[in-house]
Amino acid sequence: MTHHANSPVHTVLKVQGLGKEYKLYASPRERLKALLTGNARHRSHWALRDVSFELQRGQCIGVIGDNGAGKSSLLKLLAGTLQPSTGRIERVGRVTAILELGAGFHPDFSGRDNLYFGGSLIGIDHAEMARLEPGIIEFCELGEALDRPVKTYSSGMAVRLAFALVTAVQPDVLIIDEALAVGDQHFQKKCIERIMAFRSNGCTILFCSHSPYHIRHLCDVALWLKGGQVAQFGATEPVLAAYDQHTRQRQLDEQALAGTGGANTNGQVALAAPPEPDAPVAAVDAGSACILSVDVKDLGEAQGERPAVLLSTDLVVTITARGRGNERPNIGFMIEQSKGVGITSLATHEDGAVPVQLDDGSWRSVLSFPDLPLHSGDYVISAFLFDETGLAVYDEWFQFLHFSFIFPKPLPGLVRLPHHWS
Amino acid sequence: MQAIVAELRAVWQARALVRVLVRREVAARHAGTAAGVVWPYLQPLLTVAAYYLVFDVVFAMRLGAGAPTHAVGTFLVVGALPWMAFCDAVSRGMNSLIEAGSLLQKNALPPVLMVARAVLASMVIYGPLLLLVALAYAPLHRFNLAVLAFVPLLMLQLLLCLLLGYLLAILAAALRDTAQLVGFLLSVGIYLSPILFPLSLFPEAWRWVLWLNPMTAPVLGYQQVLLQGVLPPASVWLVGLLWLGGLALALNVVVARSRDQLVDWL
Repeated sequence: MTHHANSPVHTVLKVQGLGKEYKLYASPRERLKALLTGNARHRSHWALRDVSFELQRGQCIGVIGDNGAGKSSLLKLLAGTLQPSTGRIERVGRVTAILELGAGFHPDFSGRDNLYFGGSLIGIDHAEMARLEPGIIEFCELGEALDRPVKTYSSGMAVRLAFALVTAVQPDVLIIDEALAVGDQHFQKKCIERIMAFRSNGCTILFCSHSPYHIRHLCDVALWLKGGQVAQFGATEPVLAAYDQHTRQRQLDEQALAGTGGANTNGQVALAAPPEPDAPVAAVDAGSACILSVDVKDLGEAQGERPAVLLSTDLVVTITARGRGNERPNIGFMIEQSKGVGITSLATHEDGAVPVQLDDGSWRSVLSFPDLPLHSGDYVISAFLFDETGLAVYDEWFQFLHFSFIFPKPLPGLVRLPHHWS
Repeated sequence: MQAIVAELRAVWQARALVRVLVRREVAARHAGTAAGVVWPYLQPLLTVAAYYLVFDVVFAMRLGAGAPTHAVGTFLVVGALPWMAFCDAVSRGMNSLIEAGSLLQKNALPPVLMVARAVLASMVIYGPLLLLVALAYAPLHRFNLAVLAFVPLLMLQLLLCLLLGYLLAILAAALRDTAQLVGFLLSVGIYLSPILFPLSLFPEAWRWVLWLNPMTAPVLGYQQVLLQGVLPPASVWLVGLLWLGGLALALNVVVARSRDQLVDWL
């Protein structure tokens, strides 16, 4: 909870009886007929129906739900890019939506020119933009490229510029769709830091993610949409638990329907065409698979700002995860310098190893680095849970644990490579 | 008329943005060229100059009795330039929504701004050219006070283009065939107007067909004002206003029926 005890609670977003009907016409001709005559046969699809909730200043809400439950429609309605068919949305102050970055950039104009134009689209006039420009340039790190046409940019550069632009002004309500895969990891970190700064300044955040990990760690409240209607709205944990149960039940039903009960490798992970094996994609539906715990053996207590010190020369990490049905998941691990470069990442499916199934059905892998070949420094570890093929990421605990390692010899460096003297 | 009033209000409230959009639309038409902003103006100007050169200087063709002027090129330019402006504004207005589809789906902007941008950008290019023609025709109209009627005629044309452009933009969003059909109508429309031939040359029994072209009234008006220096007759204003009213009524209905789904169609 980020709101202060003495700050007055006030509603920044109020949604009442919100509904969105998509009229499906048999053909565009029917659509024209409907326009001209006012009546034509159409099928109604209610993407959202009777959704009501309120958000107070400083709250962070996570929106969860199956595919097609109306999450995107809700976000677009709140952002104002779609018009509701029924109901009302009351917004207070500035609403910024990070739906799809870079829409509206003209490829022939320079980054700077697009910055001013993009600003005017989201209500930042020329004078204000002139004031904001140095901050934006600093944040997006485009440097001299800013005066080149946008068509010469890499997709990462365009997205960086777009993110810097839309977040240049602190909004009252920030709407974020899906995981923020913006640019490289360095920039991703900056993005997350900026969003967290907004949040601690009292910005209300509404975000839609498939990662229960992120929702659990970021959100005060969660909204579960089911078939366009609110299934549950309230404190994060109970809603996530109920949703979790729902997805597990659905999985069981599907297995029963398939009449197999055996390995459910395809399940709901919609991977029609497997992408590049080295580019894992987020699972379309994370379902109930998640990392349960990551334990580091012999880790001391953290001292205030300083990370915990590893009290052994061995690094032994035990990762426990819940899989999906009878599918055997894969577990990944990554270690990086706390401030600096990545060192190594490993995964069971890459090493030909397999997690062991415990009695309660969860999976466990113990990863050991005997005589950890690192020099003294601060390191950060991440854990990942993949599906059986290693293509879909079910869950990730990204850079979730920092620790200090002390190498007894005072030699500078990062990694001790295998070597021999002769 | 509620729907139209709401649209007008949306444009007015976002007038600063409309100005930026228009300026950029004009700039986008010559982005990457060396001559820059000259290009959008040069093309219609050269076409008009060609008419004058070919018909009046090289061939020195003459119109018969009953025409507002005798020089064919001079006559042609007065109708052809407003017609080019009309075609440009209407076709750009018609395509404005479809072209801005992804922009509208990702930004909370009223769709009408896209139509306003396209039509006004067209006017920014053709408006000065039309004024230039009005000045160039000074020897013909001798700066008679009637020439002031040129301004309301220009406004009439602008409003016609805005209403028609928006109406067609919505219809094109519903059914893409609209753009094909209108493209054809715009290319034959010049024959259903008193632009190439003076009204007096059309067979009496068929003249009513001309009034089906929304540009007939403004073109007659321009010819009266610029070629003869007299105020356009009441019929020009009456038909012009009828067209405006009819388009506004139709637009009002179409906007109200499409409002909450328009962006989904793009």
